[in-house]
Amino acid sequence: KLLALPEAPSYTSDSSTPTLIFNPPSSAPSVYHTPLKFLPKEDKRRQLYAAAQQHANTAAHRRQMSPIAAPGTPLSSPSFLPPRPTSALPAPISEPYEKTYHLSEEDVAEIRRLRASDPDTWTRVKLAEKFGCSQFFVGMVSKAPEKAAAVSKEHEDARRKWGPRRKIAREDRERRKVLWGRDA
Amino acid sequence: MQRISISRCASQLRAPRRPACPCAAANSVRRSTTPHSHRIQARCQSTVAIPDEGGLHLEIAANSGAAATRKSRPSSQPLPLEKLPSPHPSAAERSTKLHALRSRLSLPPRFPLQALARTLVHASADPNPAFNNASLSILGRHLLGYYTSEWLLCNYPRLPMPVVFAAVEAYIGPKALATIASEWGIEAAAEPGGEVDSGLLQFKRIASGDGLPEALRRQAPWKWNVTTTHKIMRTDEFGSTNAPPSPHALQKTPVPMEEAAQSFVRALIGALHVHLGSPLVKRFFRDHFLSRHLDISTLFDFRTPTRDLSRLCAREGFEAPVARLISETGRLSRHPVFVVGVYSGKDKLGEGAGSSLDEARTRAAAAALKAWYLYKPVEVTVPSSMEGELDTSKWRPNFVDCGEVIV
Repeated sequence: KLLALPEAPSYTSDSSTPTLIFNPPSSAPSVYHTPLKFLPKEDKRRQLYAAAQQHANTAAHRRQMSPIAAPGTPLSSPSFLPPRPTSALPAPISEPYEKTYHLSEEDVAEIRRLRASDPDTWTRVKLAEKFGCSQFFVGMVSKAPEKAAAVSKEHEDARRKWGPRRKIAREDRERRKVLWGRDA
Repeated sequence: MQRISISRCASQLRAPRRPACPCAAANSVRRSTTPHSHRIQARCQSTVAIPDEGGLHLEIAANSGAAATRKSRPSSQPLPLEKLPSPHPSAAERSTKLHALRSRLSLPPRFPLQALARTLVHASADPNPAFNNASLSILGRHLLGYYTSEWLLCNYPRLPMPVVFAAVEAYIGPKALATIASEWGIEAAAEPGGEVDSGLLQFKRIASGDGLPEALRRQAPWKWNVTTTHKIMRTDEFGSTNAPPSPHALQKTPVPMEEAAQSFVRALIGALHVHLGSPLVKRFFRDHFLSRHLDISTLFDFRTPTRDLSRLCAREGFEAPVARLISETGRLSRHPVFVVGVYSGKDKLGEGAGSSLDEARTRAAAAALKAWYLYKPVEVTVPSSMEGELDTSKWRPNFVDCGEVIV
């Protein structure tokens, strides 16, 4: 038995009156189109956006309906399933997490004490695991200047050993990174 | 706006030209011939000085080196035109270039060609402030700066100040004005003098091989500790770090052509304002300056767009931005493409594509910030449109933003 699919929308219209067919190629959205959330409350385009979104939703629902359950037939009324709840957002790159503010003054003092006592054993990673915070936070509250100097000296020595090709490639990479914030 | 009459401003049409006009000497010799213009004859033979031109007398006397008396020219020899620093105003009517320029710019015929000729004379060509374009260029510069910055601030209310300064410089900066002058077909005379065509741009050129003169090179900064507030309140319309030399100070210095062209465009705006009134200047500005295309989104330079966007969402009360991977291809190949969108809750704020996840996320955040800053209201009325208007019903209050994101 054939699956009852609604017919695809045609790109040529049947009516003789002039219609507008808008079929743009896929491209990056323009920065001159302000998203709805960024519009100030007084802007009239908010109503237009809301109306356009509603129209799109009803059009989508209309196309989803199979001809068996079209309005006028006995099966039309609440016979189609509601739209799936929005797990429609794409997957995040890194999972968002709740920030926790559980560390007290004594914990912070303890972090500082441990880090100052032996930076090589009590690294940022280890302290972050112990206290359940991020490494960034550990680095923010406690400083280890000698360790930092030693590490940066190691990095400098490694960079000095680079040949010309690697050096140029790395410098180009830095320049390209600056352009990310400029051309987008 | 009340029109200032020509007699108050265009002093070169009233002042007797010093040294004496060539027509006077010629007429005194050949009395049988009728002079070609009664006005010129009367003007040249007049020896009465205008009261406020007393300073000019001394200046000219000092320049010519005479102690207290003016040199008396033998009346048999007419003064050669080469001795004059710039063409006589009467030569303006005979210059085809000026006629052509006036009609090319679609200026009404009531705009005097003498005024147009004056705007083409830079201070380095003629030190007399009544005959060069220095004072008109000061007026025109302020008018241009006012109209441009007001248009930008009203049409893009959320733009950060450095971007506003950059946009103003792109519209009416020195290089833009020099380009506009060359688009208008302004040609420059090789050497300034009284014999050149009035329709040529006259300025003293820098000798080949020489560097920039001192006046243009060594400019003291306004202040050593510059903040944005200081740039807005104290510096010029471009927020520049150094004070440019005053046009009157460039009287003896050779200048590059860019500086002369810039002074011409500004002086033209000033002359239009004086002779034709501000409604025409506004239309002229809209037709010749605002019609130039500038993509403001290229003027941004974000260093940490992800952090800025996160602060912006916190400030405005939106949900924290999350970067989501919309689509990708070629992840393990040499040229992957990741398309990442930055979402606040369910709304997409910006989208960016890149060859690494970090790059795509950064570009998406930058796009979102630009979408915030480049907001443009639908109905925009600028304050200068209400100048002198009795009917203020068309006025729509401008959108005032709280400012850029501070991190």
